[in-house]
Amino acid sequence: MINVFERLNDGKYTIYFGPAHPGSGNFGVKLEVDGECVISARADPGFLHRGFEKLMEYRIPIQNAVLSDRICILESLAWNLVHAEAVDELMGIDVPERARYIRVVLAELSRIQSHLIWFGVISAGTGFDTGFKIAFGLRDYILDIFEMVTGGRVYPAGYICPGGVRRDFPRGAKERIMRVISKICVDEDTTVLEKLENKVLKDRLEGVGVLSAREAIKLGATGPVLRGSGIKADVRRDDPYEVYECFEFEIPTMNEGDAYARYCVGIEEIKESAKIVRQALKMMPDGDYIAPQFRKPKLHVKIPEGEVYVRNEVARGEGCVYMVSDGGDKPYRVKIRGPSFLHMIPVLEHLLCGAEIADVPAIYWSLNVCPADMDR
Amino acid sequence: MKREIEVLQCLKEKFGAEGYVRRDRRVFITVDAEKVKEAILLLKNKGYEHLSAISVTDWIKDGEFEITYHLWSYESKILVTLKTRIKRDKAIIESISDIWGGNARTHEREMHELFGVEFLGNDDLVPLFLEDWDGPPPFRKDFDWRAYVREKFYSMDNERERSYYD
Repeated sequence: MINVFERLNDGKYTIYFGPAHPGSGNFGVKLEVDGECVISARADPGFLHRGFEKLMEYRIPIQNAVLSDRICILESLAWNLVHAEAVDELMGIDVPERARYIRVVLAELSRIQSHLIWFGVISAGTGFDTGFKIAFGLRDYILDIFEMVTGGRVYPAGYICPGGVRRDFPRGAKERIMRVISKICVDEDTTVLEKLENKVLKDRLEGVGVLSAREAIKLGATGPVLRGSGIKADVRRDDPYEVYECFEFEIPTMNEGDAYARYCVGIEEIKESAKIVRQALKMMPDGDYIAPQFRKPKLHVKIPEGEVYVRNEVARGEGCVYMVSDGGDKPYRVKIRGPSFLHMIPVLEHLLCGAEIADVPAIYWSLNVCPADMDR
Repeated sequence: MKREIEVLQCLKEKFGAEGYVRRDRRVFITVDAEKVKEAILLLKNKGYEHLSAISVTDWIKDGEFEITYHLWSYESKILVTLKTRIKRDKAIIESISDIWGGNARTHEREMHELFGVEFLGNDDLVPLFLEDWDGPPPFRKDFDWRAYVREKFYSMDNERERSYYD
């Protein structure tokens, strides 16, 4: 009887992880499975494709600043910054020192809240619900700061705009940021999240989805994924932008390359970001928060002819904008390079081959992915 | 700035390329389409291991597509943008997916879908983002998305959509 069963059913079938899976986001992976083991995986993106690159060709930079929020929902301020820097560089704007510090503080806070989401979804994906709730609770404190400073909790509506930022820090913002940071990082080298860490989480993540350093570079992995494979690379250090040269911070790396290593890098990065925020608030000079010619924005400003390639370290990795102008008031071509584009297609497909079905959510979320910046 | 100029000089000598250094760590170089793959191989062997992105710009007035490869070196910390131009009506270029594997393959797949550029040697140019798309490649400058949407999705008979026809 068993022989007959085996002859009729070879155990191979296809299953879909997403887009209707609670843990996948707007993204699907088609898995070919043999019993419990994944033989091959094929990413199925496009559920969130909004065509920002094309939309931006029809809009002036002030409008594009608002659009750039939406590139990645989970870290809109970081993408605001990438876009603003591209326009600044093309137009040769001298951004005031204070504005640069405000930008850095917000970008780092944005990284912390994005990493909190990351911790939350890894916890939820591996059955550790307490972690999910606590991380999202902590994130809300940062959203409160965003609301106070930018006016929006998730979407700042182009707060970081070409020339600087839309308005100055309100009174009491610095103290409030310090309070929130000390809520998340109890002291210099411990976060609340480490105290939560438990055996379940570690057992589910350790040894799962191993990415070697060679493969990581070849497949174009960046950010925490690359650093989890033991390569010490960070755009903030290697290719400094804004005022990152002025701060002291470490670049955490792990050599194992598995899901747990990436997770640990993420936790360490929260501490480093907190360090940068503390330093930036201390060193922030007085002065203008926006370049004078942008204080009252003119609608039709010509962008000088040229091209720039701006690289930033967003929470998920390397976020870039390639902007070409033909001398008109709108960019001629904008190419947005989201880190998740490569993490979710070649890297994920590579890691899922040979994994067990139960490990799929753990691998998926350990890459710190965001379907929005992949599809754009 | 010294190392940036060095890279530029090297490519100028070997491939007759043109280019300029925009600022620290940013070099823009233009080469002929036939030599682009060789130039990329040379750069990769020089340590430009990270293929950051592949992009296409549609210069419709010149009748050309400009294909750009953005390469970053983790050692010398320079970003080289390698550019090449191909004819718009004969948009075919050699794929670099045998150099970078899945990374280049995915970037080329996206550019093939959005601009209709053919990458010779890439066996995986199936649609990536757009499902059941029957229009022309949507990121080309001559694609009129307003007309396309009107024709495909809107109707004159619908009172709320009539304004799009004015």
